[in-house]
Amino acid sequence: MKSADYASSQYICLERDNMNTPKIVCQNISKIFIQKGTQRVHVLQDISLEVRDNEFLVILGPGQCGKSTLLRIIAGLETPSEGTVLLDGQTVTKPGPDRGLVFQSYMLFAWRTVMGNVEMGPKLNGVPKAERRKIAQHYINLVGLQKFENHYPHQLSGGMKQRVGIARAYANGPQVMLLDEPFGQLDAQTRIFMEQETERIWQTEKRTVLFVTNNIDEAIFLADRIVSLEGKLPGRMASVYDIDLPRPREHTDMKFLHLRQMITDASTLTL
Amino acid sequence: MSAMIKQPTNSGTGDRAIANEVQEAVGEKKPMTIYRVITNEYFLYCVSTVTFLLVWQVIGQSDMFKGALASPVQVVLRFDRMLTDTLAGLTLWGHIWASTSRVLIGFALASAFAIPIGLFMALNPYVDAIIKPVFDIFKPMPPIAWVSIAILWFGIGEPSKIFIIVIGTFVPCLLNAYTGIRLIEPELYDVVKVLGGNRRDEIIQVSFPASFPAIFAGLQISLSNAWTCVLAAELVASRSGLGFIIVQGMKMSDTSLVIGGMVIIAIVAWTTSLLVIILEKLVCPWKRKLEGF
Ligand SMILES: Nc1ncnc2c1ncn2[C@@H]1O[C@H](COP(=O)(O)OP(=O)(O)O)[C@@H](O)[C@H]1O
Ligand SMILES: [Mg+2]
Repeated sequence: MKSADYASSQYICLERDNMNTPKIVCQNISKIFIQKGTQRVHVLQDISLEVRDNEFLVILGPGQCGKSTLLRIIAGLETPSEGTVLLDGQTVTKPGPDRGLVFQSYMLFAWRTVMGNVEMGPKLNGVPKAERRKIAQHYINLVGLQKFENHYPHQLSGGMKQRVGIARAYANGPQVMLLDEPFGQLDAQTRIFMEQETERIWQTEKRTVLFVTNNIDEAIFLADRIVSLEGKLPGRMASVYDIDLPRPREHTDMKFLHLRQMITDASTLTL
Repeated sequence: MSAMIKQPTNSGTGDRAIANEVQEAVGEKKPMTIYRVITNEYFLYCVSTVTFLLVWQVIGQSDMFKGALASPVQVVLRFDRMLTDTLAGLTLWGHIWASTSRVLIGFALASAFAIPIGLFMALNPYVDAIIKPVFDIFKPMPPIAWVSIAILWFGIGEPSKIFIIVIGTFVPCLLNAYTGIRLIEPELYDVVKVLGGNRRDEIIQVSFPASFPAIFAGLQISLSNAWTCVLAAELVASRSGLGFIIVQGMKMSDTSLVIGGMVIIAIVAWTTSLLVIILEKLVCPWKRKLEGF
């Protein structure tokens, strides 16, 4: 949104001091899945984008347009059919502790407590017990789950489960957080609250964030920049929006609503 | 307008919101009314059990079945005698132990082999491709079909009985360990990959613990199969065990011995399955509490 008033763009400039070096670069990513040997599913077509250091980038698109696939490619869980992903200039070939992934369906280890889940990353990387407990406790506190360390996932509500998911990703010390529709399964109220929590956590522990959602409000509330994808396969880039609203944002702010209208209008054209 | 829907924003509000998210049932004490007592499920359990025993007792005392149905009182008195008297050199406890030890040995042997094989098959496609065709031939065969061949091979001693139990328990143990791993959400492995784990971590941190509930379900099925098998084996040829008691009762037309034998099998089998449930609770404390045993 180029027409933002002077005060707010200055605010953003202060925030973006070291945002100019690209952290992640996706170059002409395409992905074709081969099913049962012959059937080809063309999921992504020519996606090129840059995520700047400490930027909060939201990828916006309706269901089934390849958002998860794109995130999984960046995470190193899938290989692109064409194109490359660079992280700090290095080609991504496999998952690494520099990227943390938060899943839409939580994917917590049901057999581990909150503490057991959050400390899993450091544990797999050979961090001694006392130290990884300390790290995990820090992030459990950060997401507001103190006193729930010894609960099992089935004892938690959806919002709390995703807090564990976020803490687990953070505790591994990634430079980039990848979140795949993390609040997609929550009710509207919890969702809005979790968005505010996400903003708070991001302000406290600045990371480069790639956040996937199908919810326009969520995108505008959180994003420095929104990349919208076309609503049909193969997923292509539709447009990029700079969101120059001051934080914390109000869902009912006039500029917010204006932006929302604009993006909605633009995306109905591609649906 | 925007002031109306002011949302809580920063830290500090966290605790309150989480408190709303915790789902906790508050158990309130409600006053005892007659309606509440007669609709209480435990009260109804008692009513149905007592009614059943009473009806049985009345029918047993009448000569509706011409003495072929022992009454509960007769059964209890008969087994009270069995505690001290011996049948084929063993008291009731001796016979109970004879059957139970066969079940436990067969069950332990089968699960010790079947579970690892099932896990191996699920985790390694080559092992799967080699073992599965052979396993599929044996899978649909009812274990009782093995009784005759077992006696021909191993005689009428302990080995043949244990062999039949192993046959009967092997299949569900293996099958459940196998499907337990096959049904794991593949994204759980992705979690381990993303956090920096290798294939070994995936197996230890995800495959094994995630398959425990299915393995325990398999153990339960196996155990109930084991009791069926030991009974079949003892009915055919045996000098001890609960199946033997039943056969003796049949030969002597002693219905209280037959019925009592059946009841005791039910009790002992139920106790062993309770042990498996307790073991599961120790190994898998994360599982939701199961309703009743
Ligand atoms: N491993 C796969 N094999 C075949 N097709 C796949 C695979 N993963 C995803 N797809 C296809 O890609 C499409 C988009 O999937 P996804 O990336 O999950 O979209 P989104 O996250 O936007 O809903 C789906 O319709 C699905 O059929
Ligand atoms: Mg998705």
